[in-house]
Amino acid sequence: MRPRVDEDIQELMVRYRPIIAFRVRKALGAQNTDCEDLVSEILSQVLEKLQTGEFRGDSSLGTFVYTITSRRIVDYIREKTKVMKYAPEPAPFPDPQETLEVAEMSEKVKRALSRLKPKYREVLYLYYYQELSREEVARHLGVSTRKVSELVNYALKLIRKELKP
Amino acid sequence: MSKCKFEDLIDGYLLNKLSERDKEAFEEHYFNCSSCFEKLQERDVIIRTIKNNPALLEEKEETRSSVLAGLRREVASFLTVRQLAFAGVTALLVMIIVFAVLPRGQAPAPNFFLTDEETVRGSSITLISPVIDMNQIPSSFEWKKLGENIEYQISIFNGKVLWKATTRENRITLPDEVKAKMVPGEKYSWQVKAFGPDGTLIAVSSRVQFKISAK
Repeated sequence: MRPRVDEDIQELMVRYRPIIAFRVRKALGAQNTDCEDLVSEILSQVLEKLQTGEFRGDSSLGTFVYTITSRRIVDYIREKTKVMKYAPEPAPFPDPQETLEVAEMSEKVKRALSRLKPKYREVLYLYYYQELSREEVARHLGVSTRKVSELVNYALKLIRKELKP
Repeated sequence: MSKCKFEDLIDGYLLNKLSERDKEAFEEHYFNCSSCFEKLQERDVIIRTIKNNPALLEEKEETRSSVLAGLRREVASFLTVRQLAFAGVTALLVMIIVFAVLPRGQAPAPNFFLTDEETVRGSSITLISPVIDMNQIPSSFEWKKLGENIEYQISIFNGKVLWKATTRENRITLPDEVKAKMVPGEKYSWQVKAFGPDGTLIAVSSRVQFKISAK
């Protein structure tokens, strides 16, 4: 079964570009200036393979794109580590060159955080900032692990509410 | 809408806590599940905002310390000196077990994800000091020696990287200008990476947290 490629190309780009970009940024660190190029390269590889019929529908299209993305990232890192003395540091939380949309979202999150009740702030601080496990947070606060999950989930829900237009 | 079972992996993925296997499974999944990808993006912004603005969450520090103080008072009121001594000895034993005996057990070799498909297995570095809360700003950091001709890279973090240095010794003295940046009452963590003669990463320690207690 061959996907109807031609008509779907535009749709494909729109759908997979952000996903590929996310995956690439996570692997290389958002401040890596090669990210954009790599994403474009991966997308054109995907399109090429689709057009030459290399995708035969054995797996889902998402998995096909995922595989191409992962391979390209591996190749990229391999090229880089040959010349770099140190392996690239995984940079989990850099301030990326953020898109306007993300910057706006981040502002809303900040607003939501500052409005949270202290108990929610504390649990978010320990869980996300200090990166303690739920069990550690529970011990720290003297509550059950389940309670920690509830607090985190509820805090996230409150933040998400703020993000809704 | 029913919840996707992968949703529970979002935090672990973003905080780099997943095993290599779960990580790959989740990555493949979000290429296929737009609902999870949407949630992942949203959570990423939330976590990054928290990471970059801890002050928004921290200001309630005093509530926390007053809760702790209250707890301490309570503990003091129902423990006799003898019980307290017993508790101390027990704590010491537990610490000996945790810090001296357990590390000798079969700790799995850590995976360094140099690449996503290739994980490099390496040994781990044992951090010696500081690994618990300190009364004062530590003047030096010490870890277990791995062998000859190894370069160690130490990083100290307070949310972000506070200081980074390399040495061939298995200890390093903290320069005064870095000490000056450290504040009692704050939490810090540190980590050591070891590099072989050709510059390859051969071992990584876990990231250990310590707090400098407020005077």
